[in-house]
Amino acid sequence: MFKKILIANRGEIAVRILRACRELGIQTVAVHSEVDRTSLHVRLADESYPIGAAASRESYLRIDKLMDVANQSGCDALHPGYGFLAENPALPRACADAGITFIGPSAEAMEAMGSKTAGKQLARRAEVPTVPGTSEPIENPEEAQALARGMGYPILLKAIAGGGGKGMRVVPSDAAFASAWRDAASEAFNAFGDSRVFIEKYLVGPRHIEIQILADAHGRCVSLGERECSIQRRHQKVVEEAPSPVITPDLRRKMGEAAVRLGRSGGYVNAGTVEFLVDADLNFYFLEVNTRLQVEHPVTEQVTGLDLVKLQIAIAAGHRLPFAWESITPRGHAMEVRLYAEDPDNNFFPSPGKIISRHAPTGPGIRLDEGIYEGWTVPMDYDPLLSKLIAWGNSREETIARLRRALDEYSITGIRTNVSLFRRILTEPEFLRGEIHTKWLDELLARPRPPAVPPRPGTEEAALIAAALWHSSNSEGSSPGGGESQSAPSRWRLEGRRRQVDRVP
Amino acid sequence: MRFEIQLAGVSGKKKHTVELTRNSSAYDVTIDGHPLPADAVQVSPNTVSVLLGGQSFEIHISRSADGKMKLQCGQHEFSAEVMDPRSWRGRKQGALEVEGRAEIVAPMPGKVVRVLVAAGDAVEAGQGILVVEAMKMQNEIRSPKSGKVERLLAKEGQAVNAGEVLAWVD
Repeated sequence: MFKKILIANRGEIAVRILRACRELGIQTVAVHSEVDRTSLHVRLADESYPIGAAASRESYLRIDKLMDVANQSGCDALHPGYGFLAENPALPRACADAGITFIGPSAEAMEAMGSKTAGKQLARRAEVPTVPGTSEPIENPEEAQALARGMGYPILLKAIAGGGGKGMRVVPSDAAFASAWRDAASEAFNAFGDSRVFIEKYLVGPRHIEIQILADAHGRCVSLGERECSIQRRHQKVVEEAPSPVITPDLRRKMGEAAVRLGRSGGYVNAGTVEFLVDADLNFYFLEVNTRLQVEHPVTEQVTGLDLVKLQIAIAAGHRLPFAWESITPRGHAMEVRLYAEDPDNNFFPSPGKIISRHAPTGPGIRLDEGIYEGWTVPMDYDPLLSKLIAWGNSREETIARLRRALDEYSITGIRTNVSLFRRILTEPEFLRGEIHTKWLDELLARPRPPAVPPRPGTEEAALIAAALWHSSNSEGSSPGGGESQSAPSRWRLEGRRRQVDRVP
Repeated sequence: MRFEIQLAGVSGKKKHTVELTRNSSAYDVTIDGHPLPADAVQVSPNTVSVLLGGQSFEIHISRSADGKMKLQCGQHEFSAEVMDPRSWRGRKQGALEVEGRAEIVAPMPGKVVRVLVAAGDAVEAGQGILVVEAMKMQNEIRSPKSGKVERLLAKEGQAVNAGEVLAWVD
């Protein structure tokens, strides 16, 4: 087993990884940028070294500096976390050159599976279903229309050089094909100087469901079941759960087998996630592979009882996965919400700043993975993820009730958070019935907000009393009623007085 | 001790008179002249627990960038301004500012990426004064009133803290 691990990350995930290391008796080395000196991961690590300015490209993205720290502090392994360099093949290569074990897949497996196009080609070879379509551009509109009829409408036209929705058209029916083709091609030409277009089947209201896989270096690859991640705001996941409310044991087995086939054919080792889109008829289509630990890994941990970070470390150290895990089935239900420092009343604008006070929820079925503390200033330079609040219970209903209870207990002042967004999601009837898809949240937010629940009687009076009390205790040298200050006189003052009195003339 | 407090919440904005009188370990409370069966304790530096006839409320308090008090009670939020009889500070931070000279303050820590006006320019209410970048997003800071840019204190590229005065409009 490793003696000392460099954690090449920051925030909640750095804290999560160093907790696993500590439980395994492994020393931890953190790194920090100028603005992260007081961050929690630095305080909790055994060692921490500065690696540069606040901007990520001058600190957390600098492979040379990470390697210097790893060498000088005597690390024998490196965990990349997620984000930053986690999916950059240059990092495992640099680790290999320095004789340090990278806790993750090989650079080759990252390249073979990580990019969308390479992943899709691999999926076809491994007979994993992909969204029906042509991967090559089609020159002739008549030929394209014949293909579209074969796939069945609606279909999607996409520019080869596309991005940001430019040169993209949904075609609902055969009659609309010719004009949509012309529009997509001319828009693509104007935007990218390339009018070539390809066709894909358009999925109506798909779900985003992903399979967690684990593969050891001895040829064993297993599925740990699915996570439902359909609640997304502008393609960013905000609520995740396991198991999915729609997946049957049979479908779980099929998707798990497909993910494992893909992992095997890519020579994948360590933890990875295979993302799928699932349509209304429960057909699943490969989307992409994430060659790293996911933000939402705790929901899988809660329903399987496994510690994914420890397993990642064990796999990297050359240990074998025990055979019994191949038949793993989820127990109970788990759900995670991602709390961000952003203002839901101001178009989710980031809200960095100092955390004045914080009360964290506890109690049955609650887990909080976070990298913040009271008095810490959330820097403006990084992703505004503050905390992941995870609840689990015997059923989806119990889990949701626990999550709502925990959100009510959770208070952070000084910065704005998106807590109110979750209060709304967790009471929407469609969400409670599990009738969700990847556009559901954006559609919900486009609707007018339900009228605010009026505060219960007495709230305003209580707020007034609190305001008066807080004001009086925060203005200097007084307490209400003109009484004496309750606090004992300062020790410094007493010491000063003693010196004055005892002074030798 | 008597407090004049302007409280703003979902049901609008209203001024109240709150009186707290120390009575052994607790306070006697009246609001707008009516005595209330209240038991208020500051349980931590920024949290006050209030039992109002047995009903339990917990209020978390912080100071917002504009100097007002922000109160969170469960899902509900209030902002409050205390007109302290012993100092004029409370009044200076009041709503009078917009009628006279208005301070343009940074709502969050960040970097000034663009200054859209020059000192001496005439501006309309709602017109952008400058753009502050925080967490990779750009936020336009607008003038709260029509008038003239009296002074421009922020420069392009400058780092600013929440509450820092960036410009004055008169």
